[in-house]
Parts: sequence; C-alpha cells; structure tokens
Amino acid sequence: MKRTVDVSIPLGPVHPCFKEPARIKCETRGEYVIAAEVELGYMKKGIERIMRGRPWQEVMFLAERVCGICSVIHNMVYIEALEAMTSIPVPERAALLRVIVNELDRMQSHILANFSYCYTIEHETLAMYLLDIRERVMDELERITGARVTCAYIVPGGVRFDLRGEDDLHLRAALAIIEEEMTRYLQMFATGPLIALRSRGIGILTKDAAREAGAVGPTARASGMPETDRRLRHPTYQKIGFSPVSRDEGDNYARIMVRFEEVLASIGIIRTCLDLLQPGPIRGGGIPGAGEIAYSGEAPRGELSYFIRTDEAGRVLDISIQTPSIMNIEACCHAMLVGVASLADVSSTFVSADPCIACTER
Amino acid sequence: MTLLQAVKNFVRSKSIHVCYVDVGSCNGCDIEVLACLSPRYDIEQYGIYVHNNPREADILLVIGAFTPGWEDKLRMIWEKIPDPKAAIAIGNCPISGCLFDRPHTLIDPPAAKHIPIAAQVPGCPPRPTEIISAVLSVAPLVFRDYEVAKR
Repeated sequence: MKRTVDVSIPLGPVHPCFKEPARIKCETRGEYVIAAEVELGYMKKGIERIMRGRPWQEVMFLAERVCGICSVIHNMVYIEALEAMTSIPVPERAALLRVIVNELDRMQSHILANFSYCYTIEHETLAMYLLDIRERVMDELERITGARVTCAYIVPGGVRFDLRGEDDLHLRAALAIIEEEMTRYLQMFATGPLIALRSRGIGILTKDAAREAGAVGPTARASGMPETDRRLRHPTYQKIGFSPVSRDEGDNYARIMVRFEEVLASIGIIRTCLDLLQPGPIRGGGIPGAGEIAYSGEAPRGELSYFIRTDEAGRVLDISIQTPSIMNIEACCHAMLVGVASLADVSSTFVSADPCIACTER
Repeated sequence: MTLLQAVKNFVRSKSIHVCYVDVGSCNGCDIEVLACLSPRYDIEQYGIYVHNNPREADILLVIGAFTPGWEDKLRMIWEKIPDPKAAIAIGNCPISGCLFDRPHTLIDPPAAKHIPIAAQVPGCPPRPTEIISAVLSVAPLVFRDYEVAKR
C-alpha cells in the first residue's frame, strides 16, 4: 500500500531541547507522525579502538569517559569485570561504599533526566527545582569521591577513599532533605493537570514492543518489565534486599514516574548500606591478569555490558561495550514515536526515553 | 565615544546569549554547562541566557573533541552567529583532545583548527563556576566598543 507522507521533518542535530547532537527524521501526515528514524554519528570518538592494546590502568579512565553522566557505573562494571576475571576479593566495606556511590550517581542521573523532560514540556519551575536538588546530590558525590563527575573512585580490590569524619552524618542529613523535596516534586508531577495533558497516553511503549526492541532500564520498567533490572543479580544488592520499581502504563508519564520512584528507592538503598557499614579495610589490592569475561551491570539507563580479554601483563587485548541507550533509542523510534499526535511531543517523547548519545556512539 | 556606542555597551553587558554545541564530548562538560542553569549558580543573574540557537547567540561554547561528523558543520554554526561573537572551548577535549587523542582515535582536535577560539577553560570537566567566570571575563573584551575597534 502506498503511504501518504506530507513531509519529512528533521529535528536536530543542534536543537534547543536536546543536550547532545542527534537527528530525528519524522515522516509526518499533517503533524501526525507515521514513522521516525534516528540518525546518529555526530559523537563517534572510537573509544574502543583507543582502548585496545593499552594497560588496564589507562582503560579504567577511558571507560569512565564513555559517559560523563553515569561515569561511576562504567567504572564499576569495568573494575568488577576485571575482579571477576582474576578472582580479586573485595572487602565488605568497599562493596557497600561502591553501592552508595553508584546509587548517588543513579540519583543525579535520574534527576537530570526528569529535569530534561520537564524542561522539554516547558514546565520550567519543576525543572529548576529538580536541577537545584541535583546539586545537593552532586555535593555528596564530591564529598565522598573528591570530584563531581569522572571521579575514578573504584579500583580493583576496593575503593580509593573511606568516608571521612562526619561524612555519613552529612550524607544522612542530605538524604533527609532530598527525600522530602523529591516526595514533594513527585506529588507535583503526579497531580499536575497540565503535565498530565502533555504526558499521559503519549509515546506508549507496550510490553510486547518493549520486549521486541529489547528495551532496558526505566524505559522497560515503565512498560511492566521489572525483571530487566540487573541489580537483582548483583551480590551486594542481593544482600541488602532490593526490589525494583515498575509501572504498567508505558507512556511518558510512567517513564518519568519510574525515575522519580527509583530516586526514592536509591535513598532507601543508601540508608541500608550506611546502617550495614562496619569498620574495616577498604582496599585489599590485587592486579588483574590474563582472562576473558563478559560482565553486566545496571546503569541508570539500563543494562550495561562489557566484554574484556586481557593478557598476562594486564593489557586489554579486546574490549567491547554495550550501552543501554542503543536499545532504548531503537524502542523510541520504532514504537514510541509512531503515532505521536504532534511534533511538540516528538522531542518530549525522545527525551523521556533518556537517550545518552555519548554512550551510544562512544 | 558616541552616545550610541555607550548605549550599545550597556545593553551588551547585560544580555549575553549563549549557544552550546557538543562536538563529541563524553557528556560531562555538557552537564556542567547545564548545571550553570541551576538556581545555585543561576547563570541568568549575570544576564547570560542559554538559548542553544546559533542565530541569536553571542557566545558559542564548544564542548568536546572534534569528531569527523562535525567536519564542516561546526564552521556553519559559527558562521550563522551574528557579529560580535566569540567562541569558548569548555574542557580539555576541545583544547587538546584530552585522553581521546591517542593512536587509532577518530577525533581531530583542537577545535581552534576549525573556528577561532577566544578563551579556553581547562578541566575534565571544569566546574560550573569556572565556566561562568570565563563567559563573564570574555564578554567585555569582545563586546565593549566593538564598532570602534572594528574601524
């Protein structure tokens, strides 16, 4: 059957709503979107090509700079893959500190994603509230790790720094404030009538479509797939008793609400970890040797997998990274964007999937 | 200095429109530029507005090591910005390529090869306060008495 296409409208690569360059080509009839295609290729740096043949110490810093938003999880998955490969033990306290820092990173990433969405639907008040509360999370990250972004906190056999002095009291006090504020913002988002008009029932990703596209992370969990959370298979998370958040609607509203609820869940995880912390060593040492492993972890955007092969000197012979955004972008352009009623919703639907172009192209 | 020039100087000092373009960074510097918008740093109290539209921008923030996808596009964006204008390189990547400038890489730093860069803010990533102070210190140098200097 012949398709009636009025016009093919490109959005991007430099677009006020997108933080990173990506081009969406929408085939439209009037403003109704029939099909969409995402064109990438503006950010390809060839990180995996640089990594090959380099010692693991250098690859550690490169792995962190695959994504500047979720840098802690890239560091964590890469180091845990090396540890699993050469069976390096991790002290109890270090494992819990890793989870604390990872959850802080997840919180700031989710808050940033929700900020972008609120900014895109022109709810600037809520967006600015969220960006303000994010600075508190960044303060705590900086207090613990020494840097706001790309902190290289996790090393084989442990972590770099212990909590100093009254750090845990500061962290608990900040968590109390963040929890109170985030609960308020969640209520604002959940009950706002104008937000509902721009979010409910728009960009629907059904469970079948999500499974077919291989969607991961909050995008999949908003379509009723809580089992996609890789944290369920991580030993430290299993020990502290973690249960994933999920919703069934599958629209923009559900995706943002899942992120709000995950921020609150992360606060709970950090509190549990702080309760479980016992005095002890934080760094046991250990040098990665030869081996080959595929290892996965849960990034803020979904499942992140590393495949690593090293030689006896610890040089990385082969590495390949699978980041979550590539699946979510596929799900976005094949399922969510099709049938969107107006072009204004295209950018907000794209942002609601939280695509990270730097991760995707590396 | 004419009265017209004085008026222009005053108006330009309170209204600096910024466009940022990401030519292949890791997102870290991107997010630090976004953090400048937050109420804590509040970039708008200095009269700086982030529009992300080159046609109404005064200052272009270049973020990221230069990737092949931007070969002539960065220059096109630069040419779309009306005079007077300035470009600021944010982070180590547009200055030197940082740790991406290694054998087998695809990038082509520095950004100064492709467009004229007025100021550089090193850091991986730089803090939001450093970005704001760079914009504020470049703006008067470029915009004050622009017509006089051009003649």
